Amino acid sequence: MKELVSYIAKALVDKPEDVVVTEIEGEQTSVLELKVAKEDLGKVIGKQGRTARAMRTILSAASTKINKRSVLEIIE
Amino acid sequence: METYEFEGKNDQDAIENACRQLNLTKDQMDIVILEPGSAGIFGLVGGRKAKIKVTIKSKEPEPVEEIAEEKPPAPKAAPKAMAAAPEPADVATDVAPNDPENEIAIAKEALENILALIPMEGITVTGKIADGSINLDIEGDKTGLLIGRKGKTLDALQFIVNKIVNKTLEKRSRVIIDSENYRLRRQEFLVQMALKMGDKAKKIKRPVATNLLNPHDRRIVHLALRDDDELGTKGKGDGILKKVVIIPRKQSGSRASRAQ
Repeated sequence: MKELVSYIAKALVDKPEDVVVTEIEGEQTSVLELKVAKEDLGKVIGKQGRTARAMRTILSAASTKINKRSVLEIIE
Repeated sequence: METYEFEGKNDQDAIENACRQLNLTKDQMDIVILEPGSAGIFGLVGGRKAKIKVTIKSKEPEPVEEIAEEKPPAPKAAPKAMAAAPEPADVATDVAPNDPENEIAIAKEALENILALIPMEGITVTGKIADGSINLDIEGDKTGLLIGRKGKTLDALQFIVNKIVNKTLEKRSRVIIDSENYRLRRQEFLVQMALKMGDKAKKIKRPVATNLLNPHDRRIVHLALRDDDELGTKGKGDGILKKVVIIPRKQSGSRASRAQ
């Protein structure tokens, strides 16, 4: 899951080297924290949060596959 | 002559893939290495895949192979493969950075990388250009996982791949992703729904609204009812998702306004 978010985020931002994803695993749900460079924040969120929503949708599809739940948090 | 593209961890792996899928030996095809493959674009594990283009030689080589049975075919195959390696330089220059093949390759790679990380097995992506947009078709997702409820996942993938492609190319191009013929099925469903709601609006002589739809789906509804003089359509709401309101026109009024 971590790699998935990291790949998408890195492909969208101007500073891929600043992309950090940390996974906090729980029994059922794991939380993925995505950190990007300040100027790239808008790129991973998108207009009206569209990009963030699309990432969350893909993430939840991927999580369903392994019978888990994942939450994507974008950290400022 | 038919050409195909294959990928692999490195060019050797890609060639093996090509042999397996086409059921041919190395010397039955012309191999051009499009991308030699590198360790880690964006520092990603696995790196960039090697990409090759394969053209099947005309049937002549087959009888040659029959004769070659007497002599071992191995020495024949080896120099061919070696010769293929330094070749891409002159072929690669023919390919302009913005040529359609390249656009398809970029879009395809982005989608394949995402699918590989989900991870999806037994999936193939085919790409082509149609109506000026890059069409990618996902084959092998029997569960519909990649489509999602009302195509949500498919739309999300399409949106992200669009972003990646437009960032890489720095040029506007549209990518349409389909799986299991979902786009066509959805269009048929929406047209049927629009016609049904239009009938209802005419019968009750009151506006009827659809659910919240994305721009593409709204367009289908608008177009489905465009030729009906007795109905008008209007978007309603804020944001990306809007409703379409189907309004029955007052018979006399609409005729008059139309005449002007």
